[in-house]
Amino acid sequence: MNLSLGLTTSSPFERIKWITERADDLGFYGIWIGEDIGSLQEVFTATSLILLGTRRVKVGIGVTSPLVRNITTIARAAATLSEMGRGRFRLGLGIGGLQSLFELGLDAVRSNALMRDVATLLRRIWRGETVTFAGDRFRLSNYYARYKAGFATPIYFGVRGPKLLALAGEIGDGVILSGPKRYIEKAVAIVDQGLRKRRRRRASFRFVVWVPTVVVAKKSDVNLAKEAVATVLADTPKAVLEMAGIARERVKPIRAMMAEKGVKGAACTVAEDLLREVAIYGSPEEVSLELRSLEEYGIDEAIFGPPYGRKPLKAIGGMAQAWKRLI
Amino acid sequence: MEKANIDFAVGLNAYETVKEIVGKCVEAERLGLDYVWIGDSPAHLYCLSVAAAVASRTRKIRIGLGLLSPLLHAADQMSGGIISLIEAYGDRFEICLGVGDRSQLLRAGVDTKLTKVWDHVLKAKRRIARSLRASGVATEIWLGAQGPRMLAASRSFDGVLMNYASPRMIKWAIDRVKPVARQDFEFGIYAPSYVYGRWRPQAYRLLRIASAVVALGAPATVLNKFGFRKRLHGAIEELKAGLRIESVLRHVPAEVVDNFSIYTPSSRLGSYITELGDLGVTHIVFGFPQNLSKITIRDLASALSNQ
Repeated sequence: MNLSLGLTTSSPFERIKWITERADDLGFYGIWIGEDIGSLQEVFTATSLILLGTRRVKVGIGVTSPLVRNITTIARAAATLSEMGRGRFRLGLGIGGLQSLFELGLDAVRSNALMRDVATLLRRIWRGETVTFAGDRFRLSNYYARYKAGFATPIYFGVRGPKLLALAGEIGDGVILSGPKRYIEKAVAIVDQGLRKRRRRRASFRFVVWVPTVVVAKKSDVNLAKEAVATVLADTPKAVLEMAGIARERVKPIRAMMAEKGVKGAACTVAEDLLREVAIYGSPEEVSLELRSLEEYGIDEAIFGPPYGRKPLKAIGGMAQAWKRLI
Repeated sequence: MEKANIDFAVGLNAYETVKEIVGKCVEAERLGLDYVWIGDSPAHLYCLSVAAAVASRTRKIRIGLGLLSPLLHAADQMSGGIISLIEAYGDRFEICLGVGDRSQLLRAGVDTKLTKVWDHVLKAKRRIARSLRASGVATEIWLGAQGPRMLAASRSFDGVLMNYASPRMIKWAIDRVKPVARQDFEFGIYAPSYVYGRWRPQAYRLLRIASAVVALGAPATVLNKFGFRKRLHGAIEELKAGLRIESVLRHVPAEVVDNFSIYTPSSRLGSYITELGDLGVTHIVFGFPQNLSKITIRDLASALSNQ
């Protein structure tokens, strides 16, 4: 099992730079950068900087949404990044956070068909085919790429609902799972069904988990984990809560407080059992052990952070050391 | 490289590999060119990522991004990208906004007839400028313009990149932009170019095609104004009927398309540049096929340094 580092496009540039300069030497397997819609950094540019500043680590986008970008832009950005990384780049695709989509006036209906179409069309574009397509969300008319996509780009599905998880198993190269632990276990089983349906080999597919992980140096640091959990639960769809056995009523006060008082206020309403179910926190050794335990479910790669810890850079260094000792 | 306060640039179309583009930009910097412009279109590599790769291998050459179309990229995405580039590689980047090639946009599913494209571009400019200011970043925002309406709209930008090459048409275009409030407003041109030392038939053939694409895509008002409309009518109709540009080329008179390109032996480049300088042009981008190879870029640099 591998340990990678997580970033988002809301991360300050200085942190992206710090991680980029050290990721190879710290021994992390990869870096994943998630796109927070409307945030400071542009995800493809930030990914370029990370690829150019590293030599060994895999670098992935986890995830970008075809609802906020033209499919031809995703195709050519991915081809560019794949060439720059000489095979180190991984493309994560997802619908996007429900809250962000709502703010943009977008909805996630028929997302199964959208994700299937996008993954299929991206691969056709990269193969150099001339593509015509007319769908609900976008169209292409005799489109072909004038660049040559010289490196294969693996597509990871960053999805949550059962149908999309099964689709990930059917046509994805990997899946990025996020949610409560009981959900993760069930999600792996659903993705496995998708793999079996298409008679795909488990070894050719990669399971990645990205859950809130926080290194806690002192008791008050637990609040950081609560904030992360509040953020995640406020954006967790009904189907995921059901799979995790979490009653919707338990999440309602968190959402209400999030809307009223923001993340710090919402964190106060996160109960201990929800905290343990959704986040992984503790000393670097404890976090490493718990992440490693996900291997039992069939997870190949875990992503650490953000928010990492009260002192993020120290927490990242500590996790790198602890993980090396563990494996 | 500077003559009469004019900056010289080579335009690169990002359909080659990143490695090839970076190699040409390194060469352009070594040869003393002031700028490289990295193009963007739905069929090309991703301009912002290519720019990062170029910046990582060069030290001082300025890097123009675009033409970037707000119909393809959200304003926040463009400003976020340029802010990251400047944070990583310093204040070497400028962007050019514009509608973009309408036929390429249509292939990518963006129908320019369904939206008020001018409004879109102007709103994006305002948003980008606001984001850059908020981040403490100062960079020039150009407008890529050809028709009278866009030329006039360019007054609210830092400069205009006009898709013209003939001094007569450039003068007309500049008159459409003026008066400008800012003293440091930049008048630039971006045109298909072939400045040659030793003439190469392949480069000339490509120049003809590139020039024809610009001429046939020019607004009807412009073609009428300069008396080209009737002469290009047949070719325009054939293009509309779906024929490829190579097929309609025979119906495009050379003396018409020459107006849309910089085509000259090295020895005559100086007088052309002087003429443009007298018109107020401060920025010249030598577009495709000048970027065809490092040799054609060297031909250009040699011609510029011999002026």
